[in-house]
Amino acid sequence: MSLLEIKNAKLKLNDKDILKGLSLSVNKGEVHAIMGPNGSGKSTLSYMLAGRGGYDLESGEILLDGQSLLEMEADERARSGLFLAFQYPVELPGVGGMSFLREAVNSRKKFLGEEELDHLAFIKEARKVASKMFVKDEMLKRAVNVGFSGGEKKRFEILQMAMLKPKVSILDETDSGLDVDALKIVSDGVNAQRNVDNAIVVITHYQRLLDYIVPDFVHILSDGNIIKTGGPELALEVEKNGYAGLINAA
Amino acid sequence: MLHNAKDNYITSVKNHVSQFEEKSFRKLASNDFKSWPSPREETWRLSRLGVLTRKEITPIIPNPKKKISSMPKFNDSTIIRFVDGAFREDLSSKLPPGSYLNILGEEDSISLFNKFKNSNLKNHPSTNVSFSCTPSIVKLTIEKNVSIGDLFEIIYEGGDENLSVHPALYVELKDNSSITIIERFNHLSSLIMPLQLVELKKNASMNSLKIFNDNQQSYNLAANCTFLSDKSNYNSFSLIKGGLFTRSETHAYLIGENCNLTLNGVYLSSKNQHHDLTTAIYHDVPNCTSKQIVRGVLGGESTGVFQGKVRVAPDAQKTDGQQMSRAILLSENAIANAKPELEIYADDVICAHGATVGEIDDEQLFYLKSRGILEKKAKQILITAFLKDIINESVEESIQNFVFEEAELALSEIISKEI
Ligand SMILES: Nc1ncnc2c1ncn2[C@@H]1O[C@H](COP(=O)(O)OP(=O)(O)O)[C@@H](O)[C@H]1O
Ligand SMILES: [Mg+2]
Repeated sequence: MSLLEIKNAKLKLNDKDILKGLSLSVNKGEVHAIMGPNGSGKSTLSYMLAGRGGYDLESGEILLDGQSLLEMEADERARSGLFLAFQYPVELPGVGGMSFLREAVNSRKKFLGEEELDHLAFIKEARKVASKMFVKDEMLKRAVNVGFSGGEKKRFEILQMAMLKPKVSILDETDSGLDVDALKIVSDGVNAQRNVDNAIVVITHYQRLLDYIVPDFVHILSDGNIIKTGGPELALEVEKNGYAGLINAA
Repeated sequence: MLHNAKDNYITSVKNHVSQFEEKSFRKLASNDFKSWPSPREETWRLSRLGVLTRKEITPIIPNPKKKISSMPKFNDSTIIRFVDGAFREDLSSKLPPGSYLNILGEEDSISLFNKFKNSNLKNHPSTNVSFSCTPSIVKLTIEKNVSIGDLFEIIYEGGDENLSVHPALYVELKDNSSITIIERFNHLSSLIMPLQLVELKKNASMNSLKIFNDNQQSYNLAANCTFLSDKSNYNSFSLIKGGLFTRSETHAYLIGENCNLTLNGVYLSSKNQHHDLTTAIYHDVPNCTSKQIVRGVLGGESTGVFQGKVRVAPDAQKTDGQQMSRAILLSENAIANAKPELEIYADDVICAHGATVGEIDDEQLFYLKSRGILEKKAKQILITAFLKDIINESVEESIQNFVFEEAELALSEIISKEI
């Protein structure tokens, strides 16, 4: 059974068809890349999966580990093990990073029936994970994403992923706005979390990220549908010939 | 007779004056109290006093032996107490060196009265009524070059049903002096009309925190007039949470160059409360800054009003004036009004303002929920942050927790009903 199953997903935004019958199946232990030009529906797909208000499917189904997500609100989906790393992480003035992480992690732990970490144990754990992501303690004291650089925001997203240990992670353009060094840190952080029980869907516009996070499958998204699926070599083809050739051929 | 109650209060104010020995400024003031502000007056349109004017109220005769109920909130603070609007020396602390209190004599009272009368608070009901009825005008002076390290806590309480109270305080900071003053309004009265004049002389600095927490049936119509001389700093934060109707009106006159003013505030409103922060900032000279952040959280059928006038005189070049207000409505039946008013007559100035009224930010809420946090908890986190943010920005670190706890009490009242 797939860990994430999207079946014939159709979605409209403001009466405009954005996802037009998209299907995708992701198994445990796999990394999938979804590539597509700007405006092809990548972020819409990730918001739809995460359960953002207004991004409800018109028809179709999504299953996480066999369970339908459609009736669940965003918070329940997350507690069930879905994680979205935002393309544009949201600033939360006045919300301290550490208490935000703790609230999120404890929500998930509670759901899993695991014991919540006490204050000190949590701080210790968070610092440990943070240092692997080159996230300084000082950043955890600040308000979430406020005044963070582009790279810091993305590192903080992956730090959250590492703390929450989701079943399926959707990374929406986690590479955008990163220089090579930052890209490497973020990719190492993601790779460290690959295991046989989870799955990762990497959404990107550029092939570059896939040199660092090597996918098992590459899908080309165009105009609300997956038009081609292949291995890592498909990403190289995009890099060489651009999307136009692929899209025209399809 | 109900429909005559309006005039009754006017008459009882006049009658109240006769009991004082010194009557000069009181007579002038009471003669000027001819009527309550009408809703046709621009600054009272959004905060109508109709219900108040129909109440049977008389000015209080302070009880010099009344027991107090509000305890100080800080260990080492210097306490100044007003009960029933009257200064209570017996319940106040000995003042630290470099500071002293005195009761104004007739001449000084007249000159203070004239300062109000020359300001745009001249027709404010509290100006006329409290100058008529205040038991005495108390002056706090901080001497030149004195920095008061201890907190000053001024506690106003007392009053009773169908009575009005009239504390009057004049604060003067002489050159190069500084102080932090916390004022708490904890009356149990129908009507509270605090008057305050603050004068900051050259290079003086004052941090002012006001917490309005009168009982839930009361009207508080506080009037504050502040003058800033060269290089002075006035950093003020008001937390309005109590009363049925609380309106804090502040007029700040920047009369010396290179002075800095911050007039921030928060109102937390539930049930049928009406909260109003009205401010006027007058940039009369060049090179001054004013900054204003006002935030409100409203539930129930409450109403919040922010009226912020900023006037930049033709000579006030290089003025930097910033004003931002934001209100979050947690209930469909709550209303928030924001009325920024910029009158800019100089050309070389930076003035920015923005006002928003709305619900909790959707994107922020989704971000928190996408991390598994329950919607209710997420909303609570965001509103708490909304307040923490401005409190941390507005008050000095040592009192941030205190202010936040004071806010949280009112906040939990609103949140428990709405989310
Ligand atoms: N709220 C909206 N209403 C209508 N169209 C929208 C809305 N949001 C996005 N779109 C459109 O949906 C398409 C896909 O957008 P998006 O998912 O952000 O693409 P990508 O992430 O691949 O760049 C674009 O054509 C965009 O203009
Ligand atoms: Mg996108």
